[in-house]
Amino acid sequence: MGSLMDFLTVFTQPQLLALVGVGTFAGVYVGAIPGLSVTMAVSILISFTFSWDVYPAISLMIGIYMGGVYGGSRTAILLNIPGAPSAIATALDGYPMAKRGEAGTAIGVTTVMSFIGGFIGIGVLALAAPMVSDFALRFQPRDYMLLAILGILLVGSLSQGSLVKGIFAGALGIAIGAVGRDPLTFTERFTFDLQLMEGGISFIAVMIGMFGVSEALLQLHHVDKAAVRQKISRVVPSIATVKKHLPLSVQTSTIGVVIGALPGTGGDIAALMAYDHAKRVTKDPERPFGEGAMEGLVAPETANNAAVGGAFIPMMTLGIPGDAVTAIMIGALFIHGLNPGPMLMIDKPDMFWFIVGCLVMANFFMLLFGLTGIRLFTKIVEMPRSVLIPLIMLLSIVGAYAVNNSVSDVYWMLGFGVFGYFMRHYGYPLGPVILGVILSRLLDDNWRRAIITEREDLGLFFKGVFASPLSTVLLVAVILIFVSQTPIWARAKAKLLNRKERVQ
Amino acid sequence: MKRVLLGALGAIALTATAAVAEYPEKEIQGIIQWGAGGSTDTVMRSVTPHAEEALGGTIVMQNMTGAVGAIALNHVAGSDADGYTLLMGAENPMLYKIMGLGEKDYTAFTPISILARGTPMLVANNDAPFDTYSEMMDYIKANPGTVRFGSTGPGGLPSVITAMIETVEGGLDVIAVPYDGDGPALTGLQGGAIDVMPAVLGAAIEGIRAGNMKPLAVFDTAASDKLPDVPAVVDANDGYNTYLPWGPFFGVFVPKGTPEDVVAKLSAAYAEGAKNPEFIELMEGRGFTLMGISGDEAEAFLSKWQQGTAWLLQDAGLTKMSPEEFGIARPGE
Repeated sequence: MGSLMDFLTVFTQPQLLALVGVGTFAGVYVGAIPGLSVTMAVSILISFTFSWDVYPAISLMIGIYMGGVYGGSRTAILLNIPGAPSAIATALDGYPMAKRGEAGTAIGVTTVMSFIGGFIGIGVLALAAPMVSDFALRFQPRDYMLLAILGILLVGSLSQGSLVKGIFAGALGIAIGAVGRDPLTFTERFTFDLQLMEGGISFIAVMIGMFGVSEALLQLHHVDKAAVRQKISRVVPSIATVKKHLPLSVQTSTIGVVIGALPGTGGDIAALMAYDHAKRVTKDPERPFGEGAMEGLVAPETANNAAVGGAFIPMMTLGIPGDAVTAIMIGALFIHGLNPGPMLMIDKPDMFWFIVGCLVMANFFMLLFGLTGIRLFTKIVEMPRSVLIPLIMLLSIVGAYAVNNSVSDVYWMLGFGVFGYFMRHYGYPLGPVILGVILSRLLDDNWRRAIITEREDLGLFFKGVFASPLSTVLLVAVILIFVSQTPIWARAKAKLLNRKERVQ
Repeated sequence: MKRVLLGALGAIALTATAAVAEYPEKEIQGIIQWGAGGSTDTVMRSVTPHAEEALGGTIVMQNMTGAVGAIALNHVAGSDADGYTLLMGAENPMLYKIMGLGEKDYTAFTPISILARGTPMLVANNDAPFDTYSEMMDYIKANPGTVRFGSTGPGGLPSVITAMIETVEGGLDVIAVPYDGDGPALTGLQGGAIDVMPAVLGAAIEGIRAGNMKPLAVFDTAASDKLPDVPAVVDANDGYNTYLPWGPFFGVFVPKGTPEDVVAKLSAAYAEGAKNPEFIELMEGRGFTLMGISGDEAEAFLSKWQQGTAWLLQDAGLTKMSPEEFGIARPGE
């Protein structure tokens, strides 16, 4: 009964309700601008809300978080520039839809699916938090490493066209991610003794450059071409559409919750894995993936919003952040005199239910703000290119600078923009580069942890893998997915199918 | 026209006098050396608003991470010594030189305030086959090269604590598994990826209270009143008295050459801010020892800390360059 009251706190106090609303609204726009990240917004809010009570402060932060994760999809769909790393997969099919004049539909589907994903994440948080966090804790370094390998195999789904070029792009991404002082031993890698390289290359700068600037440069080819007229007759997807994608969205939300709950992996990896999953299980999409498949929007958007609820699971049950934003929220709780940790749920159960309540409210607000204003937004794509291109450049530069307030990040961003332009020109996919950068540290750090733990003995390492059911399952998944992407598999499958037919 | 001109002149005169008389006349930048949500970040974000009040100015805080804090340190060291750029950092820059991580440390800065000091302790996974510090040492001797210790890279708290154990006990044959911070390492500890973690008390206390990990010993000369049941390591081996108390610290710094009156104003503001009851409660709740020292006292603390730690690491063979090369004298010499 008490928990129900705590859950309802946010609904009964207009001031808190308003703060969640304001937060969500701001979050949608912060998330939509590449480079302005939720992490940054929440850390600024810590100082801003310092003198407030803890409830209002948390309400505002949760609103921003929920709205921001969703907002990243806006620019991904409209401009092919993901507003946040977790929206990279959204751009793959969202932008082709906008190019066909279906930006309104794309945003509508994205919004409703984010809402559904968000709810599944919150539901798991509310009902099964201790169970999921126990499961997440069981992940050993070798399991994280296998997970990273699983992620790297997504290169296959992300590279349209040549797989070889995709692998090259992915390897490049991993190398970019390794630049700088290694965080485990502080040894310099690929820095060429330049102080500029010591801090590594900002992943956000790479992302903005590769997607934003290269897009602007590419558009220069068609400056005079008229913009695509957008059909905005139907924004809210029909019940039939939602129903059709419901099974997929439940699956991808599950991926989102689990990946979100794992400390060290977040919505970005979840969304990419969900996209890959959708591609694998969707037998015949209405349109091929990469050309505007609806499933290609459903999967990443349900997953990254489900990851929000997931990220709160280890935070609330163990005081361990599930991602960068929850890490800052733990700091905020601490500053407000609470002791975030495993005892929080026992000492202050009201906080847990209050957060669940805020998340539910933020999810509703997200739906509301997401579905209104679409008309206005789609006008962006209809703007003449002579306005649009400078706008993209401006957004990219502001975004790259804002990450670390550093001009050198702007140079990196511009450099990668030009590089990305040439990559596209020669048919190299950009998705795998970003994938490589995201997974580089996860793979590298955990491989080293795993092998150091086994006293640098590969035999012991595999013994460890087969001794743990979790690792074995992951290893089998890695092998199966790898084999399914090789020509041997296709040939074997063809043979098997043939034989079956003959028998019949 | 005349009136406008007079007005403008008046305004110029006003700002001119203000510049002479009143610091701060614009926003002050506070560069936090570590990422958002970390312990340095939380400490700085909770004390600074109180210091702002005492100072009567605005301090805008910003996280600048990378290269174990060296990027932020070099940024502030390279900015004007006018008191408008503050460095908010932790203890590790004192080891940059000997670890080959950079050419600058806090000797290029004037301390505004050393706010607080943390207490290290050893925690273990609940399933580890030992319950006390002595049992752990016996187990390690009986099973060399099997116990997994968490570490956070050269110069981090775990490396200093293991160096201390090696110096006092003579040899410590364990596997050091590297993590990028004590948070992830303590997560690994609870999941069984490592057996023992030397961590700051504040980071481990909630996990201990919940029974998710077990405490072995507090690395201090006496037990902590936050965890009165956990023995101090000196009870097991009084050789540790030579090196303890030791702990990581948090401080606010300005580049050397900052005008004395500005330093005095900032020091007074942070001293006042650190007296705020809410801040004190927050720090004590996390087991930090409040220091709030500045001026010569802070300088003396810094150089003593550096000498002790640098030579400890040097004797354990963990340094890249000898402290001697940088004129860091052996303690007691």
